[in-house]
Amino acid sequence: MDNTASLPAPDKAAQHQRFEEIEKANAYLYQALELGQYMLQCGGEVSRVEDSIRRICAAFPVERADVFTITSSIVVTIYAPRFGAITQTRRVSGMQYDLHRLELVNQLSRRICQEHLEADEIARGLEAIRRTPQYSFPVQLFTYALISSSFCLFFGGSVLDAAASAVIGVVLKFLDRSIRATDANAFLSSLLCSLLGGLLAGLAVTVGLGDSVDMISIGNIMLLIPGVALTNSLRDMFSGNTISGLMRFIEAILLALTIAFGFALAGALF
Amino acid sequence: MDYVMQLVTAFLGSLGFALLFHVRREKLLLASLGGLLAWGVYLLMGYFSVLDAPRYFAAAVVLTVYGEIMARLARCPATLFIVTAAIPLIPGGSLYQTMSYFMAQDNAAAAAQGFYTLVLAVSLAVGMLFPTSIFHLLRQLRHYRAGQIKHRHS
Repeated sequence: MDNTASLPAPDKAAQHQRFEEIEKANAYLYQALELGQYMLQCGGEVSRVEDSIRRICAAFPVERADVFTITSSIVVTIYAPRFGAITQTRRVSGMQYDLHRLELVNQLSRRICQEHLEADEIARGLEAIRRTPQYSFPVQLFTYALISSSFCLFFGGSVLDAAASAVIGVVLKFLDRSIRATDANAFLSSLLCSLLGGLLAGLAVTVGLGDSVDMISIGNIMLLIPGVALTNSLRDMFSGNTISGLMRFIEAILLALTIAFGFALAGALF
Repeated sequence: MDYVMQLVTAFLGSLGFALLFHVRREKLLLASLGGLLAWGVYLLMGYFSVLDAPRYFAAAVVLTVYGEIMARLARCPATLFIVTAAIPLIPGGSLYQTMSYFMAQDNAAAAAQGFYTLVLAVSLAVGMLFPTSIFHLLRQLRHYRAGQIKHRHS
């Protein structure tokens, strides 16, 4: 453009202004990625995350924003003449469904677009969402018991089986919590949970609490098996996010294999 | 009686997963009712088809429409209702059975069960895709109409 040609000497003031623009854009993009990352971690779909980041960047405003997201990474490049092109990337790990927080992040994203929030305001909004309370541990124990017993009955188990399944579900939640505290591999954690689940189901039937090992186990399996991930992986693939879908699909298959291995091992030990 | 038991446990199972996914009070009931609805449609479709694929597809379409409508009423992402309402349909049991055959080295049974699992998951995913795409198109159309005037100004 002609203004570059008509710059005989470096204009200190203009340079300074441009530098400030770059810094501002970097800080804003950082927060946009922070929001996108959190959305993914709360269980947001890849398409939703891409869309949200694109809109947030457009509200900055920028001339163009290219967003590429898969379940484990986000790459964003924004461009505007006043600061040039800026790229930032994120490695995302540790997905844990929290649909309430997802809803709050979604609301924040809309607010950013409507009210054109600054970077530090976005950071404050995200911090407030991170501090929202989750269900307490006793409620989570109840949740595990509820899921186990419901699916035990759903698949045709007896009431006694459901009771055994509920108790085992509670034990598994305790195991899950202690494993989570150690930052262990997801597959190892699934293996240990299914091994313990299988052993306890066998034990329950031998002492007379429950009629069928398979029926008791199916309730606990529904807790562990990545059925939701499998379905979502196919949804991802059908909506054009093939890489994310494949990653999740393979992960779900491997997890399911690990779980089957754990229960098979427990069956062999009994 | 068997059906009633299944519907009740489908509701409770969805409720359990809604709690697990940290869905909050006022939406818990709506999300779990979605699970009840989904399984109800699946059972109802049993009168028309013995195949699981069309039954799953119909249930997925209904639960997604339910989710999209509830999302508009409750002003929150549709995923919240769709993920929890799909819980009774999720082929987790079948997926486990596949891997269990695989571990027992019964390859023929594992392949058959594996394809069955895939058919269920695909029916579910495709059934969810249709209503979501249509709602998305409608939303774009509305944005486009609203945006046209704005674009002319800028």
